[in-house]
Amino acid sequence: MLPILRLALPALLAAPLLGLAAPPEASTEHVQLRLVSSQASVAPGQRFTVALEQTIKPHWHTYWLNPGDSGQATTIDWSGAQAGAIQWPTPSIQAIGPIVNYGYEGRAALLVELTVPPDAKPGGRFQPGAEVKWLVCKDVCIPEQASLGLDLPVVAQAADAKAGPDAAQLDEWRRAIPAPAPFAVQIKPAAQGVQLSGTATGISKAYFFADTWGAVAHSAPQALKADGAGWALEIPAGDEPVAAGKPLSGVLVLTGPAGEQAWAVATTMPAGAGKGPGAADLSAPAAAPTAEPAAAPGDLGLLPALALALVGGLILNLMPCVFPVLSIKALALVREGNHKAEGLAYTAGVLGSFAALAAVLIALRAGGQQVGWGFQFHSPVFVLVVAYLLFLVGLSLSGLFEIGGGFTGVGSSLAAKQGLAGSFFTGVLAAVVATPCTAPFMGAALAFALSQPAAVMLAVFLALGLGLALPFLVLAFWPAAQRWLPRPGAWMDRFKQALAFPMYAAVVWLLWVLAQQAGPDGVALALGGLVLIAFGLWWRHASGASAVGTVAAVACVVLALGGSAWIKPVEADVRAGSSTEAYSAERLADLRAQKKPVFVNLTAAWCISCLVNERVALSRPEVKEAFTKAGVAYLKGDWTREDPKITEVLKAHGRSGVPLYLYYAPGATEAQVLPQILTPGLVIEAVSTSPAPRSST
Amino acid sequence: MMKLLRRTLIAAAAATPWLALAAANVDAPAPAFTAATADGKTVNLADFKGKTVVLEWTNADCPFVRKHYGSGNMQSQQKAAAAQGVVWLQVISSAPGQQGFVDGATAQKLNADRGAAPSATLLDPKGDLGRLYGAQTTPHLFVIKGDGTLAYKGGIDSIASSNQGDIAKAEPYVTEALAAVAAGRKVEKASTRPYGCSVKYAS
Repeated sequence: MLPILRLALPALLAAPLLGLAAPPEASTEHVQLRLVSSQASVAPGQRFTVALEQTIKPHWHTYWLNPGDSGQATTIDWSGAQAGAIQWPTPSIQAIGPIVNYGYEGRAALLVELTVPPDAKPGGRFQPGAEVKWLVCKDVCIPEQASLGLDLPVVAQAADAKAGPDAAQLDEWRRAIPAPAPFAVQIKPAAQGVQLSGTATGISKAYFFADTWGAVAHSAPQALKADGAGWALEIPAGDEPVAAGKPLSGVLVLTGPAGEQAWAVATTMPAGAGKGPGAADLSAPAAAPTAEPAAAPGDLGLLPALALALVGGLILNLMPCVFPVLSIKALALVREGNHKAEGLAYTAGVLGSFAALAAVLIALRAGGQQVGWGFQFHSPVFVLVVAYLLFLVGLSLSGLFEIGGGFTGVGSSLAAKQGLAGSFFTGVLAAVVATPCTAPFMGAALAFALSQPAAVMLAVFLALGLGLALPFLVLAFWPAAQRWLPRPGAWMDRFKQALAFPMYAAVVWLLWVLAQQAGPDGVALALGGLVLIAFGLWWRHASGASAVGTVAAVACVVLALGGSAWIKPVEADVRAGSSTEAYSAERLADLRAQKKPVFVNLTAAWCISCLVNERVALSRPEVKEAFTKAGVAYLKGDWTREDPKITEVLKAHGRSGVPLYLYYAPGATEAQVLPQILTPGLVIEAVSTSPAPRSST
Repeated sequence: MMKLLRRTLIAAAAATPWLALAAANVDAPAPAFTAATADGKTVNLADFKGKTVVLEWTNADCPFVRKHYGSGNMQSQQKAAAAQGVVWLQVISSAPGQQGFVDGATAQKLNADRGAAPSATLLDPKGDLGRLYGAQTTPHLFVIKGDGTLAYKGGIDSIASSNQGDIAKAEPYVTEALAAVAAGRKVEKASTRPYGCSVKYAS
């Protein structure tokens, strides 16, 4: 036995020189370490998980990513492999007198994703090395370190690579890594720090581990308020409190009906926190005790949002893109018979469309996309299809063709059905054309909806749809209201023809939007499509609506729609004038650091209210003069096509769509959020007299 | 009655330990204190009015403290500070029986052996001074301006490790803070993460 050892010892010592791997296990006075691989063999370029298992001497602890008031996180320096960041299991609290630390006692498994070099030779060995350094403390602290390594055979194909004997153990450890929270967590400033809140009910205990030093006071008690509407956790700030617009992330441990669960949470303090309504504030009613204990749990915060959505939907009716639809349908009502059924069909069409939109949003959100209201207008193809649709409506109104009951049959063979089906698809049409008209009330309600569970989101969208359908529904069910409508007569045709022109105007506007998105080529394609559609419908009209003519018309429309697939988006071009700069977070930070006042305008080519605001307020000479006088830097961000950085800013201010106007006074810690409808006086007042907003902490 | 209730609540909130641990704030007046020194004297913060004062929480057996004394970094900072007329006070808040607790004579001998040159060593076995300033780690440093306001609190430098090799690579926060105070400038990084062993308070 001894001679063997004698022979083996020099070999072991020489191992690093010979390219042999370091051992997968090591122990120090206080910690036993083991590298555990999910794979027994690996393939070139393969990604797999490795765990660093720490078995810690009783009563001693090692540290988490943020060690808390003192201590030091474990580090691993890898060689011979590309390694991801350490994935940390949920820490526990180690309180020593007034000092609070975050770390692990007993046993901890830190996970790392390793990537085998793509040029690893099949038949060779994969030998990554890990230099591990950690601090282990009880009442005293000892820094320790060890060199570990893996030694795995390399096979040619990933399919041939074998899982290791500890793969199941690794899966178990992976479950101990907090997963991203599947629910929304709101953040807002609180009296002494921050408040995190959510809508989960039955929470009896909560603790938030911030993953950076200074954001919260580690040793401070975190006060939980929980009721039937959700939970709110107040966390006192540390030495580097979370500033407005800055992120706060960490691990949230909630104890509820399902037991204790830990979630990875990432939030951003709203930049306009404490100013005006925003997503963060909308959550407040949910957390506040209310006088309606009998109401269903979870609905309390929802009611204001639903009311807002309903009002927003009502206002949509007054938008130029919806009003003609409503007017014409009202005219049809005067003419035709079964009002109630038609009203219901129209409502069903609107609600169906909004439900479909909500479903798409839910699906997209699940896919992790950053979506906001009006997002479908980011797609040039969608813009073009809507332009064609409105053009067809216009041609129909002009009298070039009439299908069935007239307007209701326009644009699609589905909508061609008379009566109830026609009403249904008129509702669909109204919902589709309403989307770009972001009425002031909608921003906050939608931001709320987008941050909520799917069912709540659906309810908010349906409330919005109901608001849109309501005037029509009232008209259908309350014939007295119809008495206010003008009598039928020859004037109706002329009126109908006149209504074609708002449609054409809308087409012009959409093509202008398209020009921003797809450039001159896109516009040429669109105009060609319009000519094609007009030609097809003229043919049909000239042939006396013969079958051949109808086929030709349908063929032309299909051809035009097919052509839209050739649309290619062009690179972003923020139309910056001499005094306007393109928005970027860096430029904003730079200007604010120079203590310059900054006005930020987040806009999109398809946003009507944005354009109106620019015309009536921002481009007015008196406003420009006030900007020059106060030395205000004007930054403009273009959201015509979805830009995640701008989506982030919108979200931080509780909005899911443009416009958003922000004014940063010199040296102010947070922005003043201006209303979504601007007047010159309002803007001038903001930039000339704005006192520095109060700090949010 | 309501007023009394509110006052009671506020008092109760103020008594929670974390508030007691967060009393020293940058740009605010540094908390006044009187403390016993290793050589048997008593010092009062007010004695040093007009002078810049450095408070250095220490624990001779803590590996992070050893990093800075073993390398000579702490001693050279103390000497440089003394040359500028800065008062450098070591503070030992370890409770009796805990790591780093020493009597006055031992504290003086430790400094003599290490070639350390603080203006004085404050003995704080009850941890009152430590809690007053919210000292969390050894080392944990505070810089107080001549007018009594706190100019800096945090780590000795930017690399939180116990490895002496990191000192040269780190940003020397305390040196920078003292230079800024001497020049009458605002300290750029006035609050940083302190790193080290926990202060061994009586628990």
